[in-house]
Amino acid sequence: MRLGVGLRLCASVPLWFVLIILMASPTSAQVRGFADLGVTTFTAKESVETVLGSSSGLVFGGGVEVTLPANLFATVRASRFRADGERVFVFNGEVFNLGIPATVTITPVEFTGGYRFDRGQRTVPYVGGGVGLHRYEETSAFADDDENVKESFTGYHVLGGVEFRATRLIALGGEAQWTTVPDALGQDANSVASQFDESDLGGVSFRVKVVIGR
Amino acid sequence: MWVMVRARARCAIAAMVLWAAATAAQQPAPSFRTLVADTAAPGIDRGVRDADRPTAARTTATERAAGRDGVVRGSLIVKFRPGTAPVAKQSVLTRVNSVATQSLSYADFDIVSIDAAADPEAVARQLAAQPDVEYAQARYRLHAMYTPNDPLFPRQWNFPALDMERAWDINPGATTAITVAVLDSGVAYRSTSVRFTARAFTVNGVPFPSLGAVTVPFAAAPDLAGPDRFVAPRDFIWNDTDPLDMDGHGTHVAGTIGQLTNNSVGVAGMAFNVRLMPVKVIDGDWDFIFGSPFEGTDDLVARGVRYAVDNGARVLNMSIGRAGPPSPVMTEALNYAVSQGAFVVVAAGNDFLDGNPIQRPADVAERIDGVIAVGAIGRDRVRARYSSTGSFVEISAPGGDMVRNGSDGGILQQTLDPDFTDTYLGGASRYRAPRFDVFAYQFFQGTSMAAPHVAGFAALLMQQGITSPAAIEAIMKRYATDLGAAGRDNEYGYGLINPRAALRGMGLVK
Repeated sequence: MRLGVGLRLCASVPLWFVLIILMASPTSAQVRGFADLGVTTFTAKESVETVLGSSSGLVFGGGVEVTLPANLFATVRASRFRADGERVFVFNGEVFNLGIPATVTITPVEFTGGYRFDRGQRTVPYVGGGVGLHRYEETSAFADDDENVKESFTGYHVLGGVEFRATRLIALGGEAQWTTVPDALGQDANSVASQFDESDLGGVSFRVKVVIGR
Repeated sequence: MWVMVRARARCAIAAMVLWAAATAAQQPAPSFRTLVADTAAPGIDRGVRDADRPTAARTTATERAAGRDGVVRGSLIVKFRPGTAPVAKQSVLTRVNSVATQSLSYADFDIVSIDAAADPEAVARQLAAQPDVEYAQARYRLHAMYTPNDPLFPRQWNFPALDMERAWDINPGATTAITVAVLDSGVAYRSTSVRFTARAFTVNGVPFPSLGAVTVPFAAAPDLAGPDRFVAPRDFIWNDTDPLDMDGHGTHVAGTIGQLTNNSVGVAGMAFNVRLMPVKVIDGDWDFIFGSPFEGTDDLVARGVRYAVDNGARVLNMSIGRAGPPSPVMTEALNYAVSQGAFVVVAAGNDFLDGNPIQRPADVAERIDGVIAVGAIGRDRVRARYSSTGSFVEISAPGGDMVRNGSDGGILQQTLDPDFTDTYLGGASRYRAPRFDVFAYQFFQGTSMAAPHVAGFAALLMQQGITSPAAIEAIMKRYATDLGAAGRDNEYGYGLINPRAALRGMGLVK
């Protein structure tokens, strides 16, 4: 979804997030920070692989999480994917590499609400879902400014994970996330994504995270 | 088989038809030429043959007008006066809401961060007015701009019309790895002297006497020849390996493909680093006068196509054609060329004003992916008056229209000087043996001139990595700038070639 209803919805999410924090009882809410590192496999496998050489890539991120009463939680997370590739020409499924360097950078900011299955044990599973603003940049050699791409798209995601409390202040976790960013790719007929009829910038991510806080 | 109309006024064309008809019955057995000397003096360059107005070269102003000013926002270049204390520097920067400076190696200036929304020029002026600042300027992005230093390049409107300066930034003229065959009247590719026997003939009832045995000098076109430039030359008109141009058409066409460029001489060409393969498959007036054993017929052209492909040509330019019935022999040759990985460019024809008959072998192009038929546009980006139309026209390129756009509205390249070749045009009293070692820069027009732009373009694409003939045709069509009726049409095909856009290809999103 391009800028529009989705973006307005997304833009209002930080406000919800702040309201949740303010409304939370100081005694019951816990604010924690986290950092994560993972791998994302893009839904637009053929397109991404054609330009970047692989349909997967490393993503690192971090954010803030607020645990709320009734085992609810809210997080805001920023992450970054960056990879180098080259421009191509696709004809009847055959790919011709043109040797022109290109760089793709994706920077999502995602807001998630969810539920923690916290029964007082050291291991806490959790599930959640939310909305994100995905900043997409694509630059290449020989391009004019208006030929490079700098756009933002709204995406949606669901996730689930398990957190293991290692110490009183540190927890380790593993998380899986499915994201959809519809109609982000393939809008230009002269794009690789349009050649493979792929339009979703989302994908499936697996990551490990370190949580600081109680 | 005839050559597509060339630009220079040739009042004798009609006359030559009569002459050919008049002499056909009395044509003697063909004479043969004798190589007299394997070397000769270098070619003579007589410069441009008319007084055209110069065309403005690409400038920074035109870049700005196109919205490509390239200023970087959010930072400035600032040089403080020597001895300025850090505190004083910060005081100055505070006035423009700057938050940081960045010192760089190999620099006696700083990069200063400013508000990304601020106008860099305005902030730079504000800073420059401070006593501690020696200078402050916005950061403009520089880019390569391959503007050839050939002195006549500004008069080649055709290359800026294709945005070739920026296309050459991406691919500067291909390399010697690509061979382009020029199937034409030959090419002025070497220096030599050849002895011919010039027979008598008649034009419009005017008899021209036999000149007897004459020794004719040839030279390589100075702005075309270079070390390892020509490969596997072949002459099917004289059935030998010396495809010497006695017309000028083939040399002009070869120039558009690969004129030596950035050599401070003359003009530029599209793919100026490629190797050229001269393959002579059509005869000129002097071939006729000297009694060449063969004429440029369908079968000769078909053989020329196969020869070029079998000897390593990756791109074939055919600025030749005819009206009349279909030609299976040429069709099969073109199919063979594509099957061997060669891309073929064919002129669409110049017969629009003469009943617009279907052109051969251009008609084959629409049925073979990897063979493309090229129509011509003038300097005004409108179809040239002569350019044939039809379903076989697939793409357009500059061919010039000197009636509509003036004498400099043609395509300027170096070729044989007609003062020394067309001696029969001055009447019998001025008739003398020709010289093919004197050259001039001349404006020609025709789809013959449009086709080599596309052949050069194909060479650039091959060098860039697109090796399939069908894919080359597809990318040319995909990135063509639509002209005329929306979408493909019979006047322009898919539109004007857009080499830069095609060479850039596709990104993930754009």
